[in-house]
Amino acid sequence: MISASERSYTRRDTVLFLACLGLSVVALFSPASWGYGISDALRNSVLAPLVWLQARAEEGRTSRARLRAITVQRDSAAYLAQGIPSLLAENERLRQLLTLSHRISTPYVAAEVLHQAQATDGRTLLIDVGRRDLVSEFDPVVAPEGLIGMVLTAAERSSVVMTWAHPEFRVSAYTMGGNASGVVAPSLASLTGEGALEFRGVPYRDSVPVGTRVLSSGLGGVYPKGIPVGTVTGVVREQAGWERIYRLLPAANPGAVAHVLVLVSPPGASMERAFPSDSALLAMRLDSIARVRQADSVAAAKAAEKAAAEQAAAEKAAARKAAAEKAAAQKAAAQKAAAQKAAAEKAAAEKAAAERAAAEKAGRVSPATPAPPTPADSTP
Amino acid sequence: MSVSRANRLQLLLVMAVLVLLHFYLRPRLGSARVSPDFLLIALVFFAMRAGPGAGALAGFTVGVVTDALTPAAFGAGALAHTLVGYLAAWGRAVFFADNLLVNAAFVAVALWVRDLVLLVASGTPQDRLLVELLLQSPLQALSTAVFAVLVLAAFRQWFAIRLDA
Repeated sequence: MISASERSYTRRDTVLFLACLGLSVVALFSPASWGYGISDALRNSVLAPLVWLQARAEEGRTSRARLRAITVQRDSAAYLAQGIPSLLAENERLRQLLTLSHRISTPYVAAEVLHQAQATDGRTLLIDVGRRDLVSEFDPVVAPEGLIGMVLTAAERSSVVMTWAHPEFRVSAYTMGGNASGVVAPSLASLTGEGALEFRGVPYRDSVPVGTRVLSSGLGGVYPKGIPVGTVTGVVREQAGWERIYRLLPAANPGAVAHVLVLVSPPGASMERAFPSDSALLAMRLDSIARVRQADSVAAAKAAEKAAAEQAAAEKAAARKAAAEKAAAQKAAAQKAAAQKAAAEKAAAEKAAAERAAAEKAGRVSPATPAPPTPADSTP
Repeated sequence: MSVSRANRLQLLLVMAVLVLLHFYLRPRLGSARVSPDFLLIALVFFAMRAGPGAGALAGFTVGVVTDALTPAAFGAGALAHTLVGYLAAWGRAVFFADNLLVNAAFVAVALWVRDLVLLVASGTPQDRLLVELLLQSPLQALSTAVFAVLVLAAFRQWFAIRLDA
């Protein structure tokens, strides 16, 4: 090979340089969709082995950490498993109390982030899942700490993620307390805002204190509701008394993240049920309240019916008891009257016998007078 | 086999090893913005020995590859690497860089220039540009230059340069 120091520049070198330069400039100023298409084609063809190699390297690098994390999770799960039945029961009870419907589990795909050496790494991330794993464009990408971004392009085995550091990133968001809502965008203004986000469009009257967490609102149809976006660290600027722009500390760092979750939406499925909007939540709550009220009225009616039945049974028993007591009293009175009558008859018989005996003794007794009956004859 | 063909095969072998290291070793080295850029080492070494035209073409190829993997601004990487490839060959011709440290400095400067062109072409805001160029890029240039010295020391016979440092 001829050393460069020994050769002279040729016209061919200049032509090659200018051609490459021209192609680069054309690529730079071409529509973004062209670039994404070429990138996808390259990653699916000549770069596929290299992407595969890098994915294996990432797996190898993170396998030890993942094993440690899984061991910790397993131990924690074993510890928590002791209280799972009671937790499930409590969870169910709280759901009923809050009149929330059961959410469907959002399907997701775990992905490795293949960081590149480029200075622009962090605005876009390359991940090792693609259409083969049901990943498609506009799928939200989250890390355990919070929102990372969304899938920009999805190839067969890899995808490009637009992170919150990308200048075109926007997400509709609201504060955790729900008192303010706006749009979160990357901070491009000042040196102090480096690596930060801005919470824009907040009405001037809605003051957001420092430390407030900001979540995705679900508006816009790309990012589901409730994903942490960042934490308010201060006010960036105020716009003529009608808007405040807050600085946010991002929840997740795309430059340091190793694993992400892509929230995939199966064909024909809707994320609305998993992350319902405010109106849908209100409707569900009202429906639940109505159902609870209906259930309460039915239960009250049943209770009243049961109480009436119990009262009737008690009254019936009391009447039966009173009748029995009355019958017993009547019987006792009859027995007493019979005994008194027998005693009176006995006394009369004794008296008559005594009189007859006295008359016989006196000689004035008539033989035709019949003898009075004895008490034994009148006994039934 | 002629000497020229043997040298060419040796150079290609080193390039292939560097490409493999870029995609298999670099992800294991920690932070992506500080770990060595093996593709850039391969580009600079190739351009310094192959000439401006081939260097520009190789730079364009490496740039397209990096743009395909990080399509934040497609074409910016190709532009930056084309310039770096061309300038590396031109710099070798001007400075007669057979010194080990000069070669390492070439690599470090090439990486910094690559980042400068890349960030400017991709429309990076000024604050971000400063942070990248004053903090991240020098660190990565240092690690890349150190590894370039190791490569040169290991394959100095194949690169046929005088290492008198």
